[in-house]
Amino acid sequence: MEQNLDFGIHQVVTFFEYNGQSFGLTTTHINTFLVMAVLTIFGLIVRYKLKNFKMIPDSKFQIIIEFLVDTINSFTISTMGEKNARFSSFYGPMFLFILLCNLTGLIGLRPPTADIATTFALSLTTFFMIQWYGLRARGTRYLKGFLEPMPFLLPLNIIGELANPISLSFRLFGNILGGTIIMGLYYAMMPWWAQLGLPSVLHSYFDVFAGALQTLIFVMLSMTFVSSAMED
Amino acid sequence: MTGYADFLFGWMANVDPVALVLAFSAIGAGLAMIAGIGPGIGQGFAAGKAAEAMGKNPKDGGKPATLVMLLGAAVAETSGIFSLVIAIIMLFANPLINKGGIAIVLAASAIGAGFAMIAGIGPGIGQGYAAGKAAEAVGKRPKLQSAIVRTMLLGQAVAQTTGIYALIIALLLLFVNLFA
Repeated sequence: MEQNLDFGIHQVVTFFEYNGQSFGLTTTHINTFLVMAVLTIFGLIVRYKLKNFKMIPDSKFQIIIEFLVDTINSFTISTMGEKNARFSSFYGPMFLFILLCNLTGLIGLRPPTADIATTFALSLTTFFMIQWYGLRARGTRYLKGFLEPMPFLLPLNIIGELANPISLSFRLFGNILGGTIIMGLYYAMMPWWAQLGLPSVLHSYFDVFAGALQTLIFVMLSMTFVSSAMED
Repeated sequence: MTGYADFLFGWMANVDPVALVLAFSAIGAGLAMIAGIGPGIGQGFAAGKAAEAMGKNPKDGGKPATLVMLLGAAVAETSGIFSLVIAIIMLFANPLINKGGIAIVLAASAIGAGFAMIAGIGPGIGQGYAAGKAAEAVGKRPKLQSAIVRTMLLGQAVAQTTGIYALIIALLLLFVNLFA
């Protein structure tokens, strides 16, 4: 039972060892690069087909691509406001990346988002974007916001600001890891006949539903944080 | 009083370490499942609000309200699922058994992991309340469904935070050698 149980991160290639810590490529790296390769190839295909696109769409491919871009644009505008529409070119790919990462559990790979390193890197991006765009849009008034409502609350405000990326990353990480653990336990515990067909129900909840929902929540919260830092 | 305590701890120090860890894991698994109170109350509230919306506006508002209730209740279930994960790990794939260290500390880690998961009561009730209110609002104004659902999901995600923290601590207690 325990030897079948497998939901941890494995080191596939080891480069070198130092002080008992080994450095190399883990399943997270490899699956992340797989997702990146899929997205890059998709992007190259769209770029190649772009010259065949017409003013009035005549191919199904163009309709699907336009629908995708329209959805991302309207989602960004409705969450961040009309004047921040340019952020859609950042958050759209981020949405697709996290969604594909969460869905890798469907083909038996370990989701890269079930590793705190991936989700914390993503949430650090949001953290620095909050500071940068807040400073650029509001200048010293942004820094003064830390002294409100009372100046002595400054440490509390700073802790609250630092807690944002931590809670953001652990939310995505915890939900995806929970699904990964449940699926690992199911495959390790059940006899072979229960592994045919039945897991699809679990996969559709933990990978598809929870994966899509947590992607939406991560991107939406990031958008809300950044746009509220820019507002007066 | 101290005589009993000395007797208890003396007994715990002498008993087979694996048996001690297994016994405390059993208690921990039971404790973790107490978190089910939260999703139960919350989803019940959401179901009640959806039924109310169905009764008030059966033609236009009933179906969207049911849909929103089901979506919100599925999110409210998250803390129950986290508790189930911790309980199943402790029952079937206990990582504490093969871990070296002082048996009493490992046993206390098992109980502590179970205790931490009780925090799931809060997110469960809160998310269910949000789902109920969203179902009520959609029942009144079905046209605003997407905006209401989005606000509900955003709030529920923030309400989940403490439950996530509890899960992290429980997993740390189970899988990482903290005190060795």
